[in-house]
Amino acid sequence: MSSLAIHLLWLLIHLVISIFFFVLKIANVLESYLISSGFLKKYESINVGKLRYLAVVVDSEDALQINKVIKLVQWLADIGVKHVCLYDNEGILKKSKDIILKNLSCVKLFEEGDEQSLRGKKTMSLEFASQSDGKEALAKAANLLLKKHLKLRSLGENQEEKIFTEAHMTEALRAVGSGGPEPDLLLVYGPVRCHLGFPAWRLRYTEIVHMGPLKSLKYGSLLKAIYKFTLG
Amino acid sequence: MLSLRFPISVEKVPLNVNRSPCPSSKAQNLSCSSCSRSAWQRAFAGATGLAAREEDKEVNGRMALTGDLVKLEEPLPSGLRWELMPRHVAVIMDGSARWARRRGLPASSGHEAGVRSLKELVELCGKWGIRILTVFAFSSENWSRPKAEVEFLMGLFERVIEFELQNFSREGVRISTIGDSSRLPKSLQKLLNKAECSTKDNSRLHLVVAVSYSGKSDIAQACKSIAHRVRDGLIQLEDVDEELIEEELATSCCEFPCPDLLIRTSGELRLSNFLLWQLAYAELFFSEALWPDFGKAEFVEALRSFQQRLRRYGSRES
Repeated sequence: MSSLAIHLLWLLIHLVISIFFFVLKIANVLESYLISSGFLKKYESINVGKLRYLAVVVDSEDALQINKVIKLVQWLADIGVKHVCLYDNEGILKKSKDIILKNLSCVKLFEEGDEQSLRGKKTMSLEFASQSDGKEALAKAANLLLKKHLKLRSLGENQEEKIFTEAHMTEALRAVGSGGPEPDLLLVYGPVRCHLGFPAWRLRYTEIVHMGPLKSLKYGSLLKAIYKFTLG
Repeated sequence: MLSLRFPISVEKVPLNVNRSPCPSSKAQNLSCSSCSRSAWQRAFAGATGLAAREEDKEVNGRMALTGDLVKLEEPLPSGLRWELMPRHVAVIMDGSARWARRRGLPASSGHEAGVRSLKELVELCGKWGIRILTVFAFSSENWSRPKAEVEFLMGLFERVIEFELQNFSREGVRISTIGDSSRLPKSLQKLLNKAECSTKDNSRLHLVVAVSYSGKSDIAQACKSIAHRVRDGLIQLEDVDEELIEEELATSCCEFPCPDLLIRTSGELRLSNFLLWQLAYAELFFSEALWPDFGKAEFVEALRSFQQRLRRYGSRES
């Protein structure tokens, strides 16, 4: 009898907590709807200028949902974000680069110097990155610096202290094709709150926000995350 | 969301500590005879209530169990499963100065309160089977703080390490430091060397303290070390790859250099140049609590969050 009572009590507690989480989820959906519809006025005037560079990490399984990715990027362009980097570990987004760009308006592929050239224009620049731009690129950059060091050494100069600096590493990364600015904000779409190998060299002071899986992509949540960043 | 595997932990702690693997522990080595459970706990205790600790084996990103039985020091709080405990936890201890400011106290009081939080965390990690704890005590950017604060912090590190050295030896804690120690006061450098030497054989918990550390500098110095090895003919240029860089990073002193879980306190959502390379697949947990307020409850929340997520380390589940 007592174990039955305990079992019923357990079910009751489970029910209460389930209701709590359900209500929380409804509240989030409602808030997102209110933000999207423009009822919450504070989200209408976001100072997007504070967000110079935004990166989006997408879980590789979620990256297969190209339509969702296109929708996300178009929303970012509409909000007024100027520079976006799309990253997924396996490079699925990189391979789908042409399809993504074809389906977007006012978006172009990222090039060095875009920060200056796109000022005052409506166009957004879009960069694609994958695992090969992370640790692999750092290893290649290290190789480049090493070759330089060995070359100078063979000429009788010991420039070790001047070659292996952070600035030279940044240059070397650019030389191997994996340069790129440090994002101000990184949005992670996936089941895990983890940046999945996004180029470590660029993450020094980036704010990282976990948005949940891509299937639950909502305009309101996106706007809220950007708004919160611009407040800080 | 809760599932029916919502366990209640065993109340008593009758089990003795046995950190090192016991060669003859194939047999049941649990002293459960003194383990008294209430009717409530009998109804709800699941497999997680058992004080079983087996050899770790990674399966699809989760820790699975095989092997022998050893004893837990303290039962885990409800909802935590010991087989899913992270091996390496990293912490950015942020918010001590803010904590002090809110109370109208000087920053030094905040840092001292922060030391108490660190001691509690070290204790919990040791009890709950976490093998490595890396803490970000002082970054290379922190040198630009007011001189008085920097001097106080250096003094605090010295006092704490000197005071705790015996405790570390008794508790089986191994201490290592990572970062550019050349900028530290000579007395502190000497003390840190002494601490590292005297605790190097301890194996219960490896406490790695990052002092004057920068993630980018760590990577740059790894490249420099590799250059030396190439120069000395120990490796070829073609051998330079990701694995080699990882071997040369400061965290190569650890058994598991890459953290499974990063906790940052005070609500900031950044890595702040900490373990940039090593955190590629770490679960990132950002706690709103300021560091001196980060205690057992907050740590349990972080561990729960970690255990609830499936981590695939970039691969895809077949």
